[in-house]
Amino acid sequence: MRLFACLLLFALFASVSALAEGDATRGEYLYRAAGGCGCHTDRAGGGAELAGGRAMKTPFGTFYSTNITADAETGIGRWSDEDFIAAMTRGVAPHGRHLFPVFPYPSFAGMTRADLLDLKAYLFAQPAVRQPNRPHEVWPPFGWRWPLPVWKWLNLPLSVPTLPPARRDDPLVARGSYLVNALGHCAECHTPRNLMGGLRNGLFLAGSSDGPEGELAPNITPHKPTGLGGWSARDITWLLESGFKPDGDDVQGLMAESIEHGYGHLTLQDRDAIAAYLGTIPAVDRKVSKSSKNKGRK
Amino acid sequence: MNAATRMFMVLSLATLFTLAAGIPLYAQNDQAFITYRQKVMSSNGDNMAAIGEIMKSSLPMGKNIVTHAANIEQTMLLAASAFEKNISAGATDSKPEIWADWKKFVSLAEAAADKASTLSKVAMSGDMAAVGPAVKALGGACGDCHKEFRKPKEESYKNK
Ligand code: HEC
Ligand code: HEC
Repeated sequence: MRLFACLLLFALFASVSALAEGDATRGEYLYRAAGGCGCHTDRAGGGAELAGGRAMKTPFGTFYSTNITADAETGIGRWSDEDFIAAMTRGVAPHGRHLFPVFPYPSFAGMTRADLLDLKAYLFAQPAVRQPNRPHEVWPPFGWRWPLPVWKWLNLPLSVPTLPPARRDDPLVARGSYLVNALGHCAECHTPRNLMGGLRNGLFLAGSSDGPEGELAPNITPHKPTGLGGWSARDITWLLESGFKPDGDDVQGLMAESIEHGYGHLTLQDRDAIAAYLGTIPAVDRKVSKSSKNKGRK
Repeated sequence: MNAATRMFMVLSLATLFTLAAGIPLYAQNDQAFITYRQKVMSSNGDNMAAIGEIMKSSLPMGKNIVTHAANIEQTMLLAASAFEKNISAGATDSKPEIWADWKKFVSLAEAAADKASTLSKVAMSGDMAAVGPAVKALGGACGDCHKEFRKPKEESYKNK
């Protein structure tokens, strides 16, 4: 009896402390599942990990990613758990400042509270870097923050296609949906955007010719021949591990980076889950090509 | 006219003809150089795809990776001659930076050959758990050169 009480107390204590403090080891895995947050590291410019300053060219102008290290002055070192959760799920920074949706919080909004805290614990366990944020260079009205609540009202929450009835109870597909939609934020690059920069949910993962940094992100719905219809689930799993397509050529740019620092570190089971989920979404017939007005990147 | 003079005339004419025929050949050769170097690269792609098929379905032919990787190693050593001629116009994804920084290009090809040789040895040892990381390391070496010296797919001749 006393042993039982002790165990109960211990379990209670363990879960309370787990609630209070995220687990940085679990957080590292989530960080990988989120693609390695590469946008927050200026790799081309030799910038410090997670210290921001990377230029993200968009049709609306150039955004500079922010410092998400634990530095108290220039990073997010003073943020409480609630501050972090508000930014990740509602796009609101401390003092009510609204964040631009170039930061994919509409996707992260789907993360569980426990996962968010673990992710925060991981970020806070990394070296703090002192590096002030650089102001965005974005044309009006896209550079104004005050219309953002209206933008949010019009564009949020993200809606994802409902699962076909036969797959609704498949735990692998459910896990895949969480990995694709909440953590991996695949739609932020692979779904095209409207004139306001909101995701066109009817074209879920059907490819975007103006992805971040001006990159073309292909159609990854199961459509043949414009999407992944000709790929097996194993082809997708292997791409996410190795960066190689079925023809032996490699992916480039942001996808290569997201695999190297992120998705490539996932377990085989989680990569299988992503492939299983991608097999359930509606096939969209859409060939994505570079619009002539917006050639090249950088 | 003695035999020696006749011989000389025939040889001179033959030489002239060969040269004359060679001039237009030379002019249209740029595309042949481009196509050749692309074939060299796509054979790397083919070997990589074959390795991928073995890996992604755990086919019982792990030992074959020894040869696929050795093929890539050998082919990488051809890159220096295949890309030596400076042609960046036409149906090609080679960036002009290749010839501006030729030493770096060659060293990246050697680095990839090195990683391919490592993969071949690891596959020979039969330790399949170590093969995955060695494939990724080779993939990283392909990417290092593509990032710097190959046009991004948005500008690829394949999408024109
Ligand atoms: C930061 C932007 C970004 C994110 C996030 C992203 N991708 Fe990509 N993805 C790209 C780009 C750009 C390409 C094109 C790369 C190339 O072809 O060189 C690509 C290519 C691909 C391809 C190859 C398609 C083809 O036809 O060649 C697949 C499959 C893919 N992504 C799946 C995913 C999945 C699954 C996720 C989420 C887990 C994801 N991507 C998240 C940008 C992104
Ligand atoms: C030393 C630099 C370098 C290395 C290393 C390298 N590549 Fe390439 N690759 C290139 C360049 C440059 C091109 C563009 C060639 C052109 O279009 O002129 C290219 C093109 C390609 C192509 C497309 C060919 C075509 O048909 O247009 C494939 C496929 C390819 N590479 C695969 C690989 C693989 C797989 C590896 C690694 C095993 C690799 N490459 C390593 C430089 C490199």
